[in-house]
Amino acid sequence: MKAVKMMDNLYLNDFTRGIFKENPTFRLVLGMCPTLAITVLVKNGLGMGLAVVAVLACSNVVISSLRRFIPEQVRIPCYIVIIATFVTIIEMVLQAFIPALYDALGVFVPLIVVNCIILGRAEAFAGKQPVLRSLCDGIGSGLGFTLGLLLLSLVREIFGNGTLLAETNYAIQLFGPNFEPMRIFAQPAGAFIVLGLLLALTNIIFKRFQID
Amino acid sequence: MPEFTRQVLTLVVVTVVAAGLLAGANMITAPVIAERQAEDYRSALEEYFPDMAEFKTEVLDEGSFDLVYNAGGELLGVMASASVQGYDGPISYNLAVDKEGAILGLRIVEHTETQGVGDVIEKPEFQNQFLGKNCLDPLQIGEDVDTVSGATISTSAMINSMRQLLSVVAENLLLLETEEPLDIAAVPDGAYRGSGEGYFGEIGVEVTVDSGKVTAIEIVEHHEKPTYLVEAVASISPQIIDGQTLEVDTKTGATESSIGIVDAVKDALTKALNAEDVESGEDDG
Repeated sequence: MKAVKMMDNLYLNDFTRGIFKENPTFRLVLGMCPTLAITVLVKNGLGMGLAVVAVLACSNVVISSLRRFIPEQVRIPCYIVIIATFVTIIEMVLQAFIPALYDALGVFVPLIVVNCIILGRAEAFAGKQPVLRSLCDGIGSGLGFTLGLLLLSLVREIFGNGTLLAETNYAIQLFGPNFEPMRIFAQPAGAFIVLGLLLALTNIIFKRFQID
Repeated sequence: MPEFTRQVLTLVVVTVVAAGLLAGANMITAPVIAERQAEDYRSALEEYFPDMAEFKTEVLDEGSFDLVYNAGGELLGVMASASVQGYDGPISYNLAVDKEGAILGLRIVEHTETQGVGDVIEKPEFQNQFLGKNCLDPLQIGEDVDTVSGATISTSAMINSMRQLLSVVAENLLLLETEEPLDIAAVPDGAYRGSGEGYFGEIGVEVTVDSGKVTAIEIVEHHEKPTYLVEAVASISPQIIDGQTLEVDTKTGATESSIGIVDAVKDALTKALNAEDVESGEDDG
C-alpha cells in the first residue's frame, strides 16, 4: 500500500490504475461479452486483449484531443463513430499489410466496436483529460483487460481442453492421453463459473491488502 | 453560434471525416487485400491439384466453379467457391473435388462466426468428416455427416450449402450420373408390367411399346384414391407418350401417385431392356 501511495507520478498512476485498481474485468466488470465468449483458449484471450490495447490507445488519444470541440450533448455518437472508424481502419490495414496478424486476430477486431471498455474509458477519462494521460490510461486499461482475459482463458483452457497455448506453435499437452477434458469449462456456463471464482478471489485479495 | 447548430455541425464533421478516412483506407487496402486473396486461392488450388496447368472459371447461380486441367488438357477436378449465411454473417468457402467426385478439401476463405464456437468450421474436427466423401454421397446431417454441438447453426449451414454445391458439381460439371437414362428406343416391342410405390402402396402398370416408342400406359393395380390417380394419369401419361421420356413433371396435388406411376413405367422398361440383354446374349452363344 505504501508503494501505491508513493506513486505520485501522474502518468504511471494512470497507467497502473487500469491494470489493478480499476481492472476492467475484475473490478469494473466491463466488457463481459467478449470476456465470456472468447476465453476458451489462451491464444484467443491474448489476441482479443492486445487488439483492444491498440484500439483503446488510439481512440483515447483522438477523443482526448477532440474533447474541446465535441459538445456535451452529442459526445456519445461522436465517440462511437470515432471508435468504429478506428476499428475498421485497423482491420483493413491488418488484412492488407500484416496478414499473419490478421489471420490470428481478424475475428476479434470487429467485436471491439461493441466493447464497452472502449466507450467507458472515452466517457470516463479521455473525454475530460489531456492527451498523454489518456494514452497512458488507454494502454493501462487495455492491459488490465488483457490480464483478465488471460487469467480466465488460462483456467478454462487447462481444465476444459487439457492444453496450454493450443493452436499456436508452442502448444503443450498437459495431461496424459487418458485425460478427459472437463467440457463444462469450455462451455459458456464454465465461463461464468470461472469468472465468478476469479472475481471472488480478486475481491479477497483486494480486501486483504486494502487496495481500494 | 446557437448550441443546436453546433451539435449538428459537430456530428456532420465527425461523420464526414470518418467516412473520408474509411474511403481512403479502403482505396489503399482493397486492391492489396484482393491480390492477397487471389494469391492464397491460387496456392490452395496448387495444393489440391499439384499437376494443375490451367483452370477455367464457370459462374452459376450456386457459386463459381474453377475447372482445373493438367498440361495435357485433361480435367483434374473442380474447385467450387460459394458463400452461405452462417450464424453471424456470410461464410465464404472453397471446396476441392477431384474428377471422380471425391472431396479433396474444404477451405474457409472468410467468416465472422464466433471465435471459439462457430469457428469450428475452420478446424479438422469439423472438416475431416468430409475428406474422401463423394459428391454423390447424401451428406445428410445425422446420417453420414454431423454438426458440431454448440455450433449447430454454423455447421448445419455449411453442410446444407456444401450439399447443394456438390450436387451442382456432380451434375453440371463432372457429369457424374447416379444412373444411366433409360433408352426407350432400345426396348423391343411388347407389353411389359412393372410396379412403383404410390401414396397408398404399390401401383402396377402395363406399358405397351411399339417400334421403340411407348404407345400406351395402363394402370393394372393401385390403392390410390381414384380422383388423385385419375389426375396423375392424365398428367403423366401424355408427357411420357408425347415426349418419349421419363423425365416428366409430377402433378401438383398428386405428387406421390405421379412418382409411383413414373417409377412403375421405369421399372417395366428396365425389366424389358434387361430381358433383351439376356436374350441377345443367348443368340451370340
